[in-house]
Amino acid sequence: MSLLLKQIFNFLKLLNSETETTPLAYGLALGLILGFAPFFSLQTFLVLMIVFVFRVQLGAAFLSAFFFKLVAFLFDYPAHLLGKSILEAEPLRPAFTELYNLPIVPMTRFNNSIVMGSMVVSFFLYPVAVFGFRKLIEAYRKTIVSRFKNTKFWKAFTATKVYNWYAKYTELYG
Amino acid sequence: MTTSNATPKIKTQSFVRWNALIPFLCLCILVTLYFHFLFDGQLRRTIEWTGYKALGAEVNIASLKTSFFDASIQIEGIELTDAEMPAQNSIKIGSIRFGMLWDAFLRLKFVINEAAMEQIEFGSPRKHPGKVAPLPPTSQEPGMLSTVGEKFKNEAQKEIESRYEDNILGDIINLLGSGDKNTALQNLTATLPSKAMIEKFQKNLDEKQKNWNLQLKSLPQGQEIQALSDRLNKIQSKDFKTPQELATALQQLQSLFQDADNKYKKIESLKTDFDKDLKFLQTEYQQIEKQVKIDTGDLEKRFKIPKLDAKSLTLAIFNRYLAPYRAKFFKYQTLAKKYLPPKFLHKTESDENTIQAHPREKGITYEFSRKNSYPMFWVKRISISSKALPEGNYGNLKGEVTNITSNQVLVGQPTKAHIAGDFPSKGISGFLLDLSLDNRPIESLIQYLFKIDSYDITGKVLVNSEEVNIGFNKAQGSMKLDGSLTGFKKLVVAFDNQFKKIDYSIATNNENATQILKSIFNGIPSIHLMASAQGEFPNIPLSVESSLGTDLQKGFQKEIQAKISEAQKKIQIYIDQEIGKQKAQVDGQLDKLKLTIQNEVNKAQGQLDEQKKKAESKVNIAKKDSENQGRKKLEIEGKKALDDLKKQLGF
Repeated sequence: MSLLLKQIFNFLKLLNSETETTPLAYGLALGLILGFAPFFSLQTFLVLMIVFVFRVQLGAAFLSAFFFKLVAFLFDYPAHLLGKSILEAEPLRPAFTELYNLPIVPMTRFNNSIVMGSMVVSFFLYPVAVFGFRKLIEAYRKTIVSRFKNTKFWKAFTATKVYNWYAKYTELYG
Repeated sequence: MTTSNATPKIKTQSFVRWNALIPFLCLCILVTLYFHFLFDGQLRRTIEWTGYKALGAEVNIASLKTSFFDASIQIEGIELTDAEMPAQNSIKIGSIRFGMLWDAFLRLKFVINEAAMEQIEFGSPRKHPGKVAPLPPTSQEPGMLSTVGEKFKNEAQKEIESRYEDNILGDIINLLGSGDKNTALQNLTATLPSKAMIEKFQKNLDEKQKNWNLQLKSLPQGQEIQALSDRLNKIQSKDFKTPQELATALQQLQSLFQDADNKYKKIESLKTDFDKDLKFLQTEYQQIEKQVKIDTGDLEKRFKIPKLDAKSLTLAIFNRYLAPYRAKFFKYQTLAKKYLPPKFLHKTESDENTIQAHPREKGITYEFSRKNSYPMFWVKRISISSKALPEGNYGNLKGEVTNITSNQVLVGQPTKAHIAGDFPSKGISGFLLDLSLDNRPIESLIQYLFKIDSYDITGKVLVNSEEVNIGFNKAQGSMKLDGSLTGFKKLVVAFDNQFKKIDYSIATNNENATQILKSIFNGIPSIHLMASAQGEFPNIPLSVESSLGTDLQKGFQKEIQAKISEAQKKIQIYIDQEIGKQKAQVDGQLDKLKLTIQNEVNKAQGQLDEQKKKAESKVNIAKKDSENQGRKKLEIEGKKALDDLKKQLGF
């Protein structure tokens, strides 16, 4: 739990810093896939592996997964309709039959209408989300963060010893 | 105080988290060590704990081994404590082992090639008595299970009460023992509900009769009809001199018709009212006749006059023996009512608030199967074997269960079970269980056969009442239960139980009765008991028949039929005395009233019909006369005109 909280604090810290836009955007976008996928599925496992192995911001991924889980819940019925129409499409049937009988692939649970619908939506939204989140973070930093940093309160706070100690600690230990 | 405007700088790091590799490897090693050293023990304890909680009695497992690479599990020494006798096991299984196919598991399918269950033992002694869970405190509020349980219990209870309400055997013993019921019948007095009913009916009938007599007086009498006849005679029907005379006569006839018709309608309405009343009285009378029969039955019960019919005797003897089976039958019938989907019970959704899975919650899972692919779940074969050992309670069992699967169409085989064997230590031989479940047709078909060729019976009590105890000291039984369930709604059950080489245990509270019973039962060396049920859920009637019933009926008929007939005759005489006279009076009164009213109505109707015919003939005569007169007038006028013309022309 403390590890998770630490990651979320890191996310907030990174969001308000001036670097690391890409890991944050990828974290948020991968969280979208996590949120739309069922927990016990191959795609969840693969996304979690990517998140852990590569330097994607974990806090961003988990926060985003939590948020998109709620969205996916509301999106269940349209996802069911979309997945149903895909799975029942005659031209795709031989491909699905082949995939269904391959090893490993059925672990994605693609043969369920809701999973298929959500998976298609999340995969299509993924590149859009990476691009969109990057732009949003940059806009956020330019407008809100820089405006906040110019306030008297922030300037006064950064002049305190406590803040200096904190800045030194972060520089040394990350 | 130093001031600084520097923001915290984040170190630029590698794209891959190399520093997480070692912790990850450590985690993998820990997981492997856990599964290698601790998992089996924990799984064993979890199964034992879950088994104890689920069954309410201690479950022991001697050893449990799992293998990740073989995807297999082997459980040895499974002991399930008998909750009623904790010193012994209800069942002990030497070993169970099965392994899944990795090839299928990677496709998210669960396929077991062969599972084995060996050394099955029933009722074997335990090393130490098993722990039995205390009964949960009874809840004040009825829960779902208790409600369902209560429901089936009540149904079974009702069934039993209805069978037991005639304690036939006790009554027979009393009759056999005392010899004479008729002394008690000498002083027979009773308040008969049918008597009260007939008295009430009599009062009602008297009132109706008064009312009808009054109404009959209002019917058109002879004078009124004579007056109509006189009026008719006075009306001119021929020799009309002017058209006005004809018109007046027709008008008078019209008015007469109107009066006659009104009287006719009155008679008709009276007749309809009477028919209604008569129908009502007849229905009431039928109720009285039913009540007379009930009263006769009640008196026979009160004086404990048994009915010597084969079915009642069968139920009286085998009620106790069949009670547990019947309770189970009702239990499953009630559970089926509760849990079978509405389509199998002809129920609508509004009948019960059932929770239905909705596509939004779970979606639809498709199976893209092809020939020779794996179904979602498939146990190809479970082999069951056990060999009897002289020191244990093992049975000689051999059997197999094949093709337990989630998709029989794909597998192309039904699920089948065949287990055969015997349990020498328990005196059971020729045990056979054949089960087939075929889900491939539109309506699934379950067929079952359970058979035991021979089993020993000792000390089996059949009847245990104040008056009589009947049972088997020793006997040899055989049983067969077979049937089918089609489409989860059409059930057929046939139960066939035979008892041979019977040594009866018979005792009554009267020596004479005991001797007679013994002589009757000794003439019945074998018994055939049959029970059957056939129908659609949820209403499946259960019927029981036995050769014993017929044999006993014959035996008892020799001994006590004369006494029973005499007692029944006495009761009939008493009932005739009490209500026979009044009933005959009511019968006569009702017939008389019916006859009187019908005669009066018919008479009045006949008289009116006669007058009506007369009037009609008069109308016809008047019409013909006026036509003749017109024709004559025309002829005369024509002749006159012809004569005038002749004159003018000078002929």
